[in-house]
Amino acid sequence: MGWILRRIAISLLLIWVVSSIVFLAIHLVPGDPAEVLLSLGGSAPDADSVAALRAQLGLDQPILTQYLHSLSHFVVGDLGDSLSDGTPVMSEALRRLPRTLELIGAAALISTAAGVPAGVAAAVNRGGPLGRCFSALSGLALSTPVFVVGSLLVMIFAQWLRLAPAGGYVAFGEDPLRHLLLLSMPAATIALGLWAQIFRMTRSSLLDVLQRDFIRTARAKGLREHAVIMRHALRNALAPILTVLALNVGSLLGGTVLVEYIFNWPGLSGALVEAVNNRDYPMVVGCIVIISTLFVSLNLLVDIAYGLLDPRVRAR
Amino acid sequence: MRRFPWVSASAVAFLVILALLAPYLALPDPTRMDLAGRFAAPHASHLLGQDEYGRDVLSRLVWGARVSLSVSLGAALLAAVVGVTLGVIGGYLRGGAEFVTLRLTDILLCFPPMLLALLIVTLFGPGARTLIPVLAIVYAPSFARVAYAGALTIRSLDYVTAIEALGAGRPRIMARTILPNIAGPVLVQFSLAVAASMVLEAGLSFLGLGVTPPAPSWGLMIGAARATMSQAPQLLLWPCAALTAAILSINALCDGLRDYVDPQPAARRPTRLADRTAPGLAAPPSRDTVLSLRGLSVAIDTPRGAIQPVRDVSFDIKAGETLALVGESGSGKSLTGLALMGLLPPAARVEAGRAWLDGIEVLDSAPDIVRGLRGDRVAMIFQDPMSSLNPVHRVGDQIAEVILAHRDVGAADARSRAVALLRQVGVPDPPRRAAAYPHEMSGGMCQRVMIGMAVANGPRLLIADEPTTALDVTVQAQVLTLMSDLKRETGVALLFITHNLPVVAEIADRVVVLYAGQVVEQGDAAETFAHPRHPYTKALLGSAPREEGPPPEGIPGSVPSPGELPSGCCFAPRCAMRLAACERPPPLVEIGGGRTSRCIRWSEM
Ligand code: SF4
Repeated sequence: MGWILRRIAISLLLIWVVSSIVFLAIHLVPGDPAEVLLSLGGSAPDADSVAALRAQLGLDQPILTQYLHSLSHFVVGDLGDSLSDGTPVMSEALRRLPRTLELIGAAALISTAAGVPAGVAAAVNRGGPLGRCFSALSGLALSTPVFVVGSLLVMIFAQWLRLAPAGGYVAFGEDPLRHLLLLSMPAATIALGLWAQIFRMTRSSLLDVLQRDFIRTARAKGLREHAVIMRHALRNALAPILTVLALNVGSLLGGTVLVEYIFNWPGLSGALVEAVNNRDYPMVVGCIVIISTLFVSLNLLVDIAYGLLDPRVRAR
Repeated sequence: MRRFPWVSASAVAFLVILALLAPYLALPDPTRMDLAGRFAAPHASHLLGQDEYGRDVLSRLVWGARVSLSVSLGAALLAAVVGVTLGVIGGYLRGGAEFVTLRLTDILLCFPPMLLALLIVTLFGPGARTLIPVLAIVYAPSFARVAYAGALTIRSLDYVTAIEALGAGRPRIMARTILPNIAGPVLVQFSLAVAASMVLEAGLSFLGLGVTPPAPSWGLMIGAARATMSQAPQLLLWPCAALTAAILSINALCDGLRDYVDPQPAARRPTRLADRTAPGLAAPPSRDTVLSLRGLSVAIDTPRGAIQPVRDVSFDIKAGETLALVGESGSGKSLTGLALMGLLPPAARVEAGRAWLDGIEVLDSAPDIVRGLRGDRVAMIFQDPMSSLNPVHRVGDQIAEVILAHRDVGAADARSRAVALLRQVGVPDPPRRAAAYPHEMSGGMCQRVMIGMAVANGPRLLIADEPTTALDVTVQAQVLTLMSDLKRETGVALLFITHNLPVVAEIADRVVVLYAGQVVEQGDAAETFAHPRHPYTKALLGSAPREEGPPPEGIPGSVPSPGELPSGCCFAPRCAMRLAACERPPPLVEIGGGRTSRCIRWSEM
């Protein structure tokens, strides 16, 4: 169990550093946030209202006081209030986070379900027509940005074929079918690029494992090729595939920003874009801290899964 | 070395040239509006038509390439300079610099790129001028990682230590020796960063947080066209196509560069079992002969033509007999064993030969028939027991698996048989050890597990490829004893592949000596060792380690590589008894007593 605790401690440390950096970045950058906020309309703000806003935001305090103040609030889960409508950032984020996670989860599911079998097929029939076809497709998928995929999907399925609505959100409890229909396009958009990554990693990792000595042993046992691949090769090839998934969660979380925007999906990333546009500092900081925390925790989960997959990791 | 990726390189070059020449192409002003020409179809003065403000689409695409490329190239360049400097300093100086570099990149990599970009845009506001430093910060950590790793490896190389000893200054060493050596990976990282920045720039512009209108940018064009996609889908399609094509060609260049800079062995061709010639020496094997091999030749296709690491090898093994296959490394002994199992590596193929195991032909049979024999009638153990066991399965399950593959028994039965086998091969506390993973056991224990796995189904032939080489001397002796015990108890025939002659003398009944892929001498083990009838066997015996006396002298010269064999006797370049007649290939001749030799002067020895 020691190895799990050690990894949890490292992750907590990283989350602390990340939130500190976000805090410092906001406060050390030249330009007073209060002044920037008030001058959004285009007119120069008067000194009184700037001072009032500074007091309201606590910006008149020494920076160390502010830092300790917000850190103590972070720890108990208070990320401050949104500047635009005064709602607590935490509750707003918690309301939206599950929708973003649902999107990512659905995309990861689709892409793994399609990517791993494709990768296995390509590795086993190396140089075959199927493998080449998948490779070409993955090259194209990796080169098409998510917002291009999303925009094209909207044009094809919503505008031309009229099979699905262009975007929007309905809670699952209200109308499950419509919820899934609305989920399908944004999830597919994110899944495409991820599919390509998983496909490539599965193929190369499996090809690598197939060269190892224990595969020769498995063949020497007279196992069917199917058993050699499934029982001996794939399990050893899973760790790198998992890493790819985890490393991509970062760009996935970034990708959801664009996808939620395109499909009007009211998730956390959409709120972030809005907050950036409105210079809603507490909201921006809150969203980034939450998403980074998520990212770090996912990496933690992958580390733990690694240990479960490969007994040698636990020993280290 | 792979070919340089010319196709993708020229596509990227085309893009760059187009962007550079944009002002001189006599295109309409990309920002000039013409409300009368809104959504106009393509015609002579506007080759791709006009957009929602009547601006020329082609011109906006070309100028968009200019914006996109200058932002992404600028960002990648800045990221490369910052990242490589940090990485090289960290990797070369170590200590505090290393700590700062590594932790800094760790922390930056905690932010998903898009989020980091959004955070910085919030702080500094949108616009093309903020974009370059923003993207540079996002991608610098990956350069730092690549440079750090490169600097670490190169730092430890001899020549860096050497010039350091000659008194070269540190900055000079970093600039003159480390930089050129990490250029390859950095170049690959650079093209990755260009493509990624291009995507990120377009994405930010698409959201209205990147390049500000009316400047032409592909991301902005796509964003704007979404509003009008029902009436003018082409406005969406063109920039989408341009962006995807640009990224596709940069990615392709990147893949090509990676292969070019860091060449991996070219893809191997799958084994083809066709095109084999039967040697026509098919003598029907006698009853007690477990294995009868006739005229085996193995070929490997290389870029410079096929080579033959095994040539015309024949021998028989009887039940309960141990045959030692002896030779230096590169003599073809392991390939012979693998060919018998049908387990040749993908690059190698059986070119000629027949082999009968218990009367069943194995070299030219359908793969499924051979698979059915493997692990059942013929089993093999390998040199490195640790890597030959699957690290993620318990050893008991790995033994049970081979029983389940060939016998109609239940899983519980197979598992208890596995425990019994572990006991039989001398593993202490078998029930507990059955639940262990290979990394929890010593090399000797792992080899015992491999042996248990091999004898699980009572094979007729056991092929052991250097089974003791990777083990400690004391453990070697124990494993050898175990194998001869098993042979005595079960009557299994043993093909023992080794270069270790003392081991052969201890365990073998007969010996086959291979040199450069050919049998050079064959016969009863004791007689052959007492009176070798080939200069190579004699030299091998002379070079074997002895318990007392002076340390042995090695055989002068080295084994010829299969690509450049001498035309006559293969051993001639190293032979003290060489004659002019040795320029012709000597035949393998019977010399009486069931022995054979491939030396024309065998009788003089
Ligand atoms: S044939 Fe000639 S060269 Fe070859 S081993 Fe015999 S004596 Fe030496």
